[in-house]
Amino acid sequence: MAVARSKVRAIDSDMSSQRPAFNPDLVKAPEAKKKTPLKGPLTVSQVTAIVQRAILDAVPATIHVVGEVSNFKRHSSGHLYFTLKDNSSELSCVMWRSDAARLKFDPENGLEVIASGAVEVFERAGRYQLYTRKLEPKGVGALDLAFRQLCEKLKQEGLFDHNTKKPLPPFPTRIAIVTSPTGAAIADMIRTIQRRYPCVHVLVHAVRVQGETAAGEIASAIRSINRNSKNLGGIDLMIVGRGGGSIEDLWAFNEEVVARAIFASHIPVISAVGHEVDFSVADLVADVRAATPTAAAELAVPELEEVAAGLTGLARRIARATQTHAELATTRVNGAAQKAPLKNPLDLIRRREQILDELEHRMTRTESTQLHDLRKRIENVETTVQRIAPHAYLAKTGGALRDASYRLRWAIDGRMRDAFQKLRHLALTLPATTSHRFDLSREKVRTAETVLGAVSHKSVLGRGFSITRIKKGGKVLRSVKDLTDRQRLITHLADGDVETETVNINQMELFD
Amino acid sequence: MSKKKLSFEQALDQLETIAEQIEQGKIGLEESIEKYEEGMGLVKQCRDILSKAEMKIQKLQERADGTLETARFAKPKT
Repeated sequence: MAVARSKVRAIDSDMSSQRPAFNPDLVKAPEAKKKTPLKGPLTVSQVTAIVQRAILDAVPATIHVVGEVSNFKRHSSGHLYFTLKDNSSELSCVMWRSDAARLKFDPENGLEVIASGAVEVFERAGRYQLYTRKLEPKGVGALDLAFRQLCEKLKQEGLFDHNTKKPLPPFPTRIAIVTSPTGAAIADMIRTIQRRYPCVHVLVHAVRVQGETAAGEIASAIRSINRNSKNLGGIDLMIVGRGGGSIEDLWAFNEEVVARAIFASHIPVISAVGHEVDFSVADLVADVRAATPTAAAELAVPELEEVAAGLTGLARRIARATQTHAELATTRVNGAAQKAPLKNPLDLIRRREQILDELEHRMTRTESTQLHDLRKRIENVETTVQRIAPHAYLAKTGGALRDASYRLRWAIDGRMRDAFQKLRHLALTLPATTSHRFDLSREKVRTAETVLGAVSHKSVLGRGFSITRIKKGGKVLRSVKDLTDRQRLITHLADGDVETETVNINQMELFD
Repeated sequence: MSKKKLSFEQALDQLETIAEQIEQGKIGLEESIEKYEEGMGLVKQCRDILSKAEMKIQKLQERADGTLETARFAKPKT
């Protein structure tokens, strides 16, 4: 008989080694006796039935067979078909879908396994085969192998890649936790978050964390939270995990469906499975792996006191910088106020008035030289005003000076207007002989007036200057060439006049 | 400006920016003072968030249509 001759070794089977030669009469005597003796030709079905009966009688209901997997086929129905072989024999095997679903690892050709099940005849094909109910890899644990196989697969697909890992939000508002609602893990996490950073909203999605349905529940919860994040006000972070246990207890976190759900999550995921030493596939896919549930909570939220201290630090920085800025501005304003034109802003105007008074006086003498001087002096004023170019200065002193400049503008405008009115009046009284020249002067005056008008209020903020005249005749001093020894001079300064006498006249190169 | 809508993180970022702006002194005094006031407002907002010391814990429950609803969560006893 084929079975008896098969070299496929059946282990853990009492009868494997001392199996008697096939003899239906000996095996099941009472039944055999009822049967008619085997006479004449038998039908195929009869032979098959005899063989089936013989096998059922001879082989225990469960045997364990060691061999190498070959011709492995997973049918679309979910049933597995393969052959176990050793050096000289082969044994057909089938594993129904319901049993195959419990396999943690993927059987593959060449894998040394121990298959457990019953040998029966498949009547239609006239073939005996091992109806495998359990399959274990030989040498390694099934779970270890499954873990290795899944890791290999997911790694190749890039699920463990570091550049796909999402950063954790530094200050989460809403944290979802996928775990068992009872037990130490959830209690540890809640206590830790409460202690560190109690200003968050924790949402617990209760799932079974071990048993047949666990992986599916965990994966579904992860997807559901992602889908509903918006409705829940925005989930910033998710913790997926459970407390310690055996490798079987933790197995759900090594299932592909959980790994894929974690990878697909757009919410950052912290995994927290078991203890420090436990490493799960979920840990490898998660954005951050925490050694324990407590560690996960610590990674999830900052320490409130540290955050508060950081905030105080920032507030201090801002206050200090603002104070420094204000002090700097005050110093600038004070500095500006110390400058002469600001101290006595009307002096500039008065000096110009004085010049105009003098011009008036001299114009009454209707001398053309004096008209010339008049023009020169107006030009002088014009140049001075232009040179002052006070925009930058004013911009620096800023708002604090606004009031002063506003008042100044009034004063200057008024006085300027008066002065030019006087000039115009004088011009009208000039004799006809000088009227032409005066017209020219008046043109200059108008130009000056325009310029002054445009910048008048700003001009007083500029630098001070002085004018020196020869006392006799009042001629403005422009060159040492105009001087003789022991000559009396009047110098107009910002706050008054001074009379001096020349002592030493040196004509020099200009060093300015 | 809808300042109320700033998250804690955004508020901190904003504070950092304000501190840098004032420290660098590239803005005028008046703007500095405005920024200072804005900064102090943000600091207050952040403190308010942090002082919500009562942690809220809820349970998520799946509805038949696949949406989630929140429910009271009974803290496990340890």
